[in-house]
Amino acid sequence: MNEQVLSRRPERKGDKSTIGLDSGRAGRIVGRTVMWLFLLVTAALTVFPLLMTLSGSLKTGAEMMTGGSLLPAKMQFSNYAEAWRQANFARYTWNSAFISIIATIGSLLVASMAAYVVDRRQFPGKAIFVTTQASLMFISVGAIVLRPQFDLMVVLNLNTTLWGVILILISAHSSTFFLLLGFFKAIPRELDEAAMVDGSGFMRTFFLIVLPLLTPGLGVAGLFEFRHAWNQYILPLVFTMTNPELQPLTVGLANLRYGSSAAMQIHLMMAGACLSILPMLLVYILANKSFIQVTSGSVKG
Amino acid sequence: MQKKWLGLGMSLILATVIAGCSGNDSNGNGASATNGPSEGTKATPTAEANKPPVTLKYWTDDRHDQEYINEMINKFNETNEDNIKVELTVMSENYAQSVDIAFSSNQAPDVLRLKGANTPVFFKKGYLEPIDGFLTDDIKAKFDKVILDGVNRFDDKVYSLANNGQTLRLVYNKDLFAKAGIENPPASLQEMVDAAKKITEAGKSEGVYGFALNFKNPKSAFDRSIREILSLSGHQGLGFDLKTGQFDFAPYSQVIEYFKQMYADGSILPGAESLDIDPLRAQFAAGKIGMYLSFSTEPGVYKDQFPTEINWGGALAPTIDGQIKGKSEIVSAGTWLGISAQSANKEAAWTFMQYMYGDEILKSYHEKGFGIAVVPAIVEQAANPDINGMEGFLVGEHDSIWPVAPTVTPEGANYADAFFKYVLAGGDLQAITTDLNARYNDALSKAVEKGEVSVTPNPAFDPTKPQG
Amino acid sequence: MNLKWKRFGENSLFLSPSIILTAVLGVYPLIWMLRYMFYDYVGYGEPLFIGLENFRRVMRDGLFWESVGNTFIYAGGKLVITLPISLLLAVILNGKLRGGNLLRGIYFMPTIISTAVISVVFYTIFNSYNGMVNTALMKLNLVSQPVDWLGTKYAMFTLILVAVWGAVGNYMLLFLAGLQGIPQDLYESASIDGANAGRKFWNITLPMLAPVAQLVIMLAIIASLKGYESIMLITEGGPIGKTEVMYLYLYKLLFPVATGMPVEQQLGYGSAVGFVTAVIVGAITGLYFLLSRKMNKMY
Repeated sequence: MNEQVLSRRPERKGDKSTIGLDSGRAGRIVGRTVMWLFLLVTAALTVFPLLMTLSGSLKTGAEMMTGGSLLPAKMQFSNYAEAWRQANFARYTWNSAFISIIATIGSLLVASMAAYVVDRRQFPGKAIFVTTQASLMFISVGAIVLRPQFDLMVVLNLNTTLWGVILILISAHSSTFFLLLGFFKAIPRELDEAAMVDGSGFMRTFFLIVLPLLTPGLGVAGLFEFRHAWNQYILPLVFTMTNPELQPLTVGLANLRYGSSAAMQIHLMMAGACLSILPMLLVYILANKSFIQVTSGSVKG
Repeated sequence: MQKKWLGLGMSLILATVIAGCSGNDSNGNGASATNGPSEGTKATPTAEANKPPVTLKYWTDDRHDQEYINEMINKFNETNEDNIKVELTVMSENYAQSVDIAFSSNQAPDVLRLKGANTPVFFKKGYLEPIDGFLTDDIKAKFDKVILDGVNRFDDKVYSLANNGQTLRLVYNKDLFAKAGIENPPASLQEMVDAAKKITEAGKSEGVYGFALNFKNPKSAFDRSIREILSLSGHQGLGFDLKTGQFDFAPYSQVIEYFKQMYADGSILPGAESLDIDPLRAQFAAGKIGMYLSFSTEPGVYKDQFPTEINWGGALAPTIDGQIKGKSEIVSAGTWLGISAQSANKEAAWTFMQYMYGDEILKSYHEKGFGIAVVPAIVEQAANPDINGMEGFLVGEHDSIWPVAPTVTPEGANYADAFFKYVLAGGDLQAITTDLNARYNDALSKAVEKGEVSVTPNPAFDPTKPQG
Repeated sequence: MNLKWKRFGENSLFLSPSIILTAVLGVYPLIWMLRYMFYDYVGYGEPLFIGLENFRRVMRDGLFWESVGNTFIYAGGKLVITLPISLLLAVILNGKLRGGNLLRGIYFMPTIISTAVISVVFYTIFNSYNGMVNTALMKLNLVSQPVDWLGTKYAMFTLILVAVWGAVGNYMLLFLAGLQGIPQDLYESASIDGANAGRKFWNITLPMLAPVAQLVIMLAIIASLKGYESIMLITEGGPIGKTEVMYLYLYKLLFPVATGMPVEQQLGYGSAVGFVTAVIVGAITGLYFLLSRKMNKMY
């Protein structure tokens, strides 16, 4: 489950200063300095591990093994090519992308359809449905569910493909459901009622009229879902244990610790880590604004 | 209305589940049809020409020999006349889990690497196919001496054959020993503790420490060290007393005291608690560790994985009091390959096994230093491997295969975790030992009750002649 | 009637994917667990009904209760460090600040990175024999010899740091969202009354933020109790169980981590542990919920 939850109105008020610093002038300067010190130290600590990863990914294996220096003696860009080809990262990246994209689309579809009916219609068992979705967000029994889930996938003959992982990811759509429910409430009912009166069918109304209006909500929920799927580790670890060629980046990377190839190659591992962070970083930079807006919007209400 | 809706939902779910189940049934039947020992498969006509292609999955967790094994498999794939193609998968630390998952999901490999520790468990779980039906008289004669109950034979059926075993030795950095003014590798635990202390004193400023083990997984660490110290001192190495047929960790606890002493002295590489074996080797290769104990795979590792400049060697493990009172155990010696009970191509799997167990491969396996030959016919003809450091690991007068100790899963912490906790945090060693004895013997009697293991006490057992 | 059926059909069509997936992959596994927690089942052979024996075993399982204690230390440590930092950052960034957007971007960055990936990285940079953290500290002359970051003494501390690193940005954003919901005129009129920054923070920001903060803290509690991926990858719960947490302990019962050694998959016992774990987490969440409601009434 994501750590952010539910609800609507991804709009925010203008930025205005909330801490006016209007005591003495000297006090203000000290306060400013302390504040900036805190901000910069925190920023430095946040960035440090990432810089170390980057630096490590450009070192030679020997440099990594013996430690010693912070920066590479000579940039080894070939590490990336090597990780991509030799350590199979091309395959891992493809698997990660496949899982994340399908799982994202799938849960958006499943959750938005359900949320639409729940928001617009009365039906028997509605309370049960909503309660079940809500409780599933809060009940966590840990890894034990993996076994029955795995057995089910064996029964459905999906355990040798990535579809098992994808279906399980889609099945955990409670938080997306509630998030979208909030967005649906913001779309006026009159709109789809009017469309229906004009003779637009239920399906048509949903897919052609309501869904486009839901785009901001879908964008936000999609980002969370994508991040969630891309970063999964334990689920794909268990499901792909017998099929190394199905492993996503996270699992492939963690397995490099044991150096299933000739030697333990930390420098390639670091290059792989950079490679695996990169796509998410791109998505983040492109969607930075909506990411932050949405997270902001998601706690209100 | 509400009920109706619920009913519909339930029936939908049921429909899905039932559809799924029936799918499984047909699968299950398919698998169980080939389950019976070899009758089904033997019936297949053995026409020589134009056999349909058969693909065999072969899983192993051996990484040190993978290039060689790959080469041999390629050769087999090209030359065999039965149109068999073998696919090798090298697993890492997750091997046992992967095998469990594979067998519970109809993806089991046809051929499995079997080791001393996992064979009884795989047998117990019904993963393995007996190979008696395939064994010709020639093969029986060749392996006769190394067919052992509880190792590769269970309930009078043979499941695997021997190839090589691993001896265990103290691996030490001769340069660091010399620098600390120590002439010989330690013969007693007290000497080991002293040597570790001296090496640390001499080298600490350069980050050199006397001793290390891969304590991230204490069981893996102790099973490559204390196991050997104990067997050479005359005790079974995993805490089992072969004379009484019960677990008794008292000798184990004696050894632990010395490990604790090394920790107290600060002679152990800092961070060893979070060390895996490969990073440990990398540190050893970089000359930062005085000594550790490990398998005869180490020479190969320092040839290929972590090429090193340091001058190192292998020596017999130290004993409790410096007296050799038993044989150093050759581990994982009775098993190599086995056939899956779920395999649809057991005949082909055996063809492959037969190829792998040919004299040529067994011989070069030994000569390349991947493991130490234990099959008498091979021992006679194979030359000693020509790898730096290997001379210290060769089978000598003090080495022997030991009878097997039963594998049980006790409630609570295993012996390695419990003892390692004592090493780091202290406590009442006597109480820890008593508790371990109680829990292990409890688990043992439960397993015996269930018929999963059988134990025959051997009061006349002599650790200097463990083979009887 | 016809219309009713049509609507029923439409509802079913739209709800069934969600219902089927939830029932089969969400609810069924729970029922499976509720069944097998009464069985002796180790993954092969016939499951054997043993009544409450698994629960008796949980009661006397010292390792489990140790892991419960560790979970509290881990989660508590993470919360105590993360929440104040997040709140402080949010309050500062909520004001007009040069470079505020850039800083916000930096602080948020860790939350988009996979815990698994970053844990592998953290292991490499924190290990004491060649880690870059020690290298940096020694270069700066802050320590004279390598600190054993993953040893008995500091392992838990290190893991908490890793958790904090990954969480600060997330809660910062959530607090920020809450702060932006506070009406500006409150601050303005306080300024007119001559209130200083500290007074405003205590008298306006905190009380107004309380409802959002309550929700955020609840999410933070659940998330920190549940997290075990990074522990699994960095210390595997060691050394000597010092960093073993409930969910990792459970994972290991089902997928034993042991070099090449097969160990029994404790499915029956694992189910019981899973149940007890869920109850513990549920109880804490519930307790927090009640407490925060009581606090509400006090205001």
